[in-house]
Amino acid sequence: MSENLEQSFVKQLKDNQNIIHKICRLYTSGEDAHKDLFQEITIQLWKAFPKFRGDSKFSTWAYRVALNTAITLYRKSTRSISTVDYESKSYFISQEDYNSDEEDQIKLLYQAVHQLNDIEKALIFMYLEDKDYTEIAETLGISEVNARVKMNRIKGKLKKILNP
Amino acid sequence: MIEELDLLKKDWKKTENSFQQITEVDIYKMIHKNSSSIVKLILIISIVEVLIWTFISIFFNTDDYLKNMQQENLIDLFRYLTIFNYGVIAVFIYFFYVNYKNISVTNSTKQLMKDILKTRKTVKYYVWYNLGMIVLSSIAGFILAFSVDPKLEQITHDPKVLVIIICVLTLFLLILVGLFWLFYRLIYGTLLRRLFKNYTELKKIDL
Repeated sequence: MSENLEQSFVKQLKDNQNIIHKICRLYTSGEDAHKDLFQEITIQLWKAFPKFRGDSKFSTWAYRVALNTAITLYRKSTRSISTVDYESKSYFISQEDYNSDEEDQIKLLYQAVHQLNDIEKALIFMYLEDKDYTEIAETLGISEVNARVKMNRIKGKLKKILNP
Repeated sequence: MIEELDLLKKDWKKTENSFQQITEVDIYKMIHKNSSSIVKLILIISIVEVLIWTFISIFFNTDDYLKNMQQENLIDLFRYLTIFNYGVIAVFIYFFYVNYKNISVTNSTKQLMKDILKTRKTVKYYVWYNLGMIVLSSIAGFILAFSVDPKLEQITHDPKVLVIIICVLTLFLLILVGLFWLFYRLIYGTLLRRLFKNYTELKKIDL
């Protein structure tokens, strides 16, 4: 039974791993930190998995657990030695990939997003993932109206960072 | 700006499959690793604290002293106090357990933060309760000792000595409380600073 649970979890996580990678991309910089957060999110997902009823999609459920782990539970750790060492090439788009004006702008945008605080990053993340305001509000535990207001403020903030 | 964000979104979608994929074997390995989340750390610290304070409150037992002083009626009083103290410990541990169990990573972010802070608060109150008890029983013990111990009674005839003793005792209690206050600032500072910051940020959104 528990082996089945493990199998089903591992398979679903493997298929949905990009959700976690994307969160790690926003909340960490550097490969080691990315791996470390990825591992902690995986552990938290696994611990919460027995209570996952399957009445929502695995991905929807994973979004919430992963975000909560990144914002609340995760401590930048000194664990790097014991992190599972998987084969990794660069997760990050290297500078050479950007050359046109548009790409320069994208690079600046990513840098600006990295300067936002944890909560603002969560809102931007869900915006980039095309989540509606109902889900954003529910995930963070704020009201829908205020989620909209906050989102507009973040857009303003990004603008300011880009054009000081 | 909207255009720029659209640009970002376009790129976000484009690069969404560019991550190095993790294999099932890696995931198996990961789920057998230990979590290093702050909830786990808080649990460990809390258990250690409760154990230490329970030990201290048992250690601070005045029965023998009172027996030596032949104050049988006071022994009864202190026995009730001890029973009361155990009751309080039990209630604290119960609340800590309930609060800890309520922490769920599948709750909303705000609720999750609230629950973690609530769990910590239970332990904080427990420590302050114990500290308060120590301060109170030191003062009570001091008064009792000077009113029933014939040797000490003689000393206190000299008001100068009495003032000095009171000053030393007050200073000692102040330092004790001050040290704990510092200790807690430190724990909260290092462990919960980010959590507090994010929680305040979330609360601000709904203001």
